[in-house]
Amino acid sequence: MQEPILTVKRITKTYPGVVALDDVSVTFASGEIHALLGENGAGKSTLIKVIAGAIEPDQGSIVFGTQEYAKMTPALAKELGIAVIYQEFSLVESLSVAQNVFLGENRGLLVNSDDVNRRAARIFAEMAVSLDPTMQVRKLSPAKKQLVEIAKAVSGNARILIMDEPSAPLSAAEVETMFEIIGKLKAKGVTIIYISHRLEELFRISDRVTVMRDGRTIETLVTNQTQRQALINLMVGRELKEYYPRHSAAPGEVVLEVRHLSGLGDEDISFSMKRGEILGVAGLVGSGRTELASLVYGAAPKESGEVWIDGTKRDIHSPAQAIAYGIGLIPEDRKHHGCILNASIRFNIALSVLNQLARFGVIDTKAQKRVTRYYAEKFSIRTPSMEQRVRNLSGGNQQKVVLAKTLAADTNILIFDEPTRGIDVGSKQEIYHLMVDLVNQGKTILMISSDMEELLGMSDRLIVLCEGKYMGEVPRDKFDQRTIIELASGHH
Amino acid sequence: MPKIDLRGLQKYTVMFILVILMALFAFSSPYFLTLRNLTNIITQNTYFIIAAVGLSFVMIGGGIDLSVGYQMSLVGVVTAMSMVVYHLPVWLAIVIGISLGTLLGLFNGIIVTKVRVFPLIVTIATSTVFQGISYIVSKANTFRNYPAEFLLITTGKFLNISYDVWLTLLVVLFAAFVYAKTSFGWSVLALGGNEEASRLAGIKTTALKISVYAICGFFVAIATLVMIAKANTTSSMFGPGTEFTCLTAAIVGGISFVGGEGNILGLVTGVFILAVLGNGMQLAGLGTYAQYIVKGLILLGAVTFDEYQKSHRGRARRIAPAA
Repeated sequence: MQEPILTVKRITKTYPGVVALDDVSVTFASGEIHALLGENGAGKSTLIKVIAGAIEPDQGSIVFGTQEYAKMTPALAKELGIAVIYQEFSLVESLSVAQNVFLGENRGLLVNSDDVNRRAARIFAEMAVSLDPTMQVRKLSPAKKQLVEIAKAVSGNARILIMDEPSAPLSAAEVETMFEIIGKLKAKGVTIIYISHRLEELFRISDRVTVMRDGRTIETLVTNQTQRQALINLMVGRELKEYYPRHSAAPGEVVLEVRHLSGLGDEDISFSMKRGEILGVAGLVGSGRTELASLVYGAAPKESGEVWIDGTKRDIHSPAQAIAYGIGLIPEDRKHHGCILNASIRFNIALSVLNQLARFGVIDTKAQKRVTRYYAEKFSIRTPSMEQRVRNLSGGNQQKVVLAKTLAADTNILIFDEPTRGIDVGSKQEIYHLMVDLVNQGKTILMISSDMEELLGMSDRLIVLCEGKYMGEVPRDKFDQRTIIELASGHH
Repeated sequence: MPKIDLRGLQKYTVMFILVILMALFAFSSPYFLTLRNLTNIITQNTYFIIAAVGLSFVMIGGGIDLSVGYQMSLVGVVTAMSMVVYHLPVWLAIVIGISLGTLLGLFNGIIVTKVRVFPLIVTIATSTVFQGISYIVSKANTFRNYPAEFLLITTGKFLNISYDVWLTLLVVLFAAFVYAKTSFGWSVLALGGNEEASRLAGIKTTALKISVYAICGFFVAIATLVMIAKANTTSSMFGPGTEFTCLTAAIVGGISFVGGEGNILGLVTGVFILAVLGNGMQLAGLGTYAQYIVKGLILLGAVTFDEYQKSHRGRARRIAPAA
């Protein structure tokens, strides 16, 4: 191993109810391609934000070269030559390619656009890509935008380039181009920190790989001395085995059938669900799972395809219609889509049943209090009062409020999108038990999760998506993490 | 963990400010605390309160309507002309005025939802459109001397209190009831609190948004009738500026600029703070221009406070996350 350029030492970062990073230490060597691997929520993104100075750790320090810093700031990171390409690009869409490449560069008052274009062209020539520096960024494909991001980092003489899921928006050919560029940067001595779920990519390009899980670094391995299966085991295995309750319902008649559904990047997805079962949806980030939920729920317009409920074809154009047909959604983004944070628990639970609780538009306060208290007790929402603002509840209790709101509307087909994300272990168990209870009562659950163990533990069957396409179905007796990860990464 | 309801606190803060202001002006002018002056303050502000209630529906729903002033201008001249130029019966003129106001609001709502541009910009644009129409319709004339039945709105009395004060009280109580007890009011609060969450919870947010603008237009038209009855005259110049007073009163009264919360009592208090300030400054010999400066500063102050309170709440949350 070459000499270290960057070391994070014993970094801890906590958010309310969640430990995002727990005493994390990693050393990155000069000129290596170092992959970070882990499931969603493992702490990779938090770690790179700490390195980039975007967030401040609670404890620990960062050593760059020989200098030790208690924390980074964005300005300091830039000065040291640490550049990050986030999953969401940070480009100004309305400006030209060259303007973006040199954005923030301070070279006096006047800008010579010819000069800027020439310098951008030179960088692209070095990278051996053809890109017009005068083109407006808005008009570029995601792959080209990413090249602009890389050029931006290169122009700032980056010594460390951090890439968060860089291949997610790219086609296979574009990924190849990106690898070539990464190879060139490495040859120039740039350290690359590469985050990806796609194992084959890591084996192609990385020198070392650090596996993270539950906010901790599990192990750092030399990639070419490591087996694929070993990495998967490290990534998904848990020291603290969680217990997944099983429901006792026998599958009944088909309640939901989705035929050839397309839209939001999803193409031709078909599946069906029987009463009293939990159907899991597996896939990587960007595989189109949340999009599938939006289409079925009518939250986004579908391009084509049909949704059949209880054997009848239904046109669902809005969430209001979906609810009327008995479909409920527990959204992925609980805080922004699931509830109104500034409003009370009572208000939130009543939200989906305002009309049912009102006579001639006037709310029956008694009935409303009865309904909200019923669900609060049923789901044991822990709060001193029903008037408490949802903002002040823990993640687990917020999720129970969202669940209460959804069920109050008398929904039978429930779509759970990442039901336990950002929730502590104890509350997770409660949510699992609630799901099992619901299925035992004859409800049907579509469960989207990035937590593989949870998906395998809870589902009766799984469907797997990859890049918006249906990859196949796996019955419970064939459940195997390796098969599913292979399917989810596009291998049949 | 002790609970501090900042919203409740703010409600009292606003009342407290009103009392302080009144005490201050009572010292500076012996005339200020006379029954006659206080009655004046109330009767001169009834139409502001009605219009502010209308605007509150839009603002609590997370929008804004800056065209309120020119809605009044147009509704005012059309209603007045119906009576004094076309000699229509008073009831019909009133129906025309209120329908027109509602339509103007509906127009705003449809554009805001269909074009999906910031309502601030949309309503500045429609404001100018309404202004143009108002001047074309009125040919820049002034219309005065309305039928006695129409003037009854402000001259008629019940229990020695004029009809427009009763009307205002009715409007205020109605709005307070809507927010406290109706599914519509709750939906509007939800819309302003989080539009996407509301939509996903099955609320028909587009229709709701259009309707709050229409309701705003409806109340603004009622406010216009009171305004022109009180003055017994109108022209296209009557109305503009009202939106500023209403907006300031709403924010001072604790209706958040980004929607989702607010109380009608605070709104009324907000109108009176501005009114007392105007009246008191007048009595103290400070003219209209000085009042502009003070009102502008108050709006800035109220928005700053609103913003501060939000970020403050955010910080407090991060330190003490769970209940």
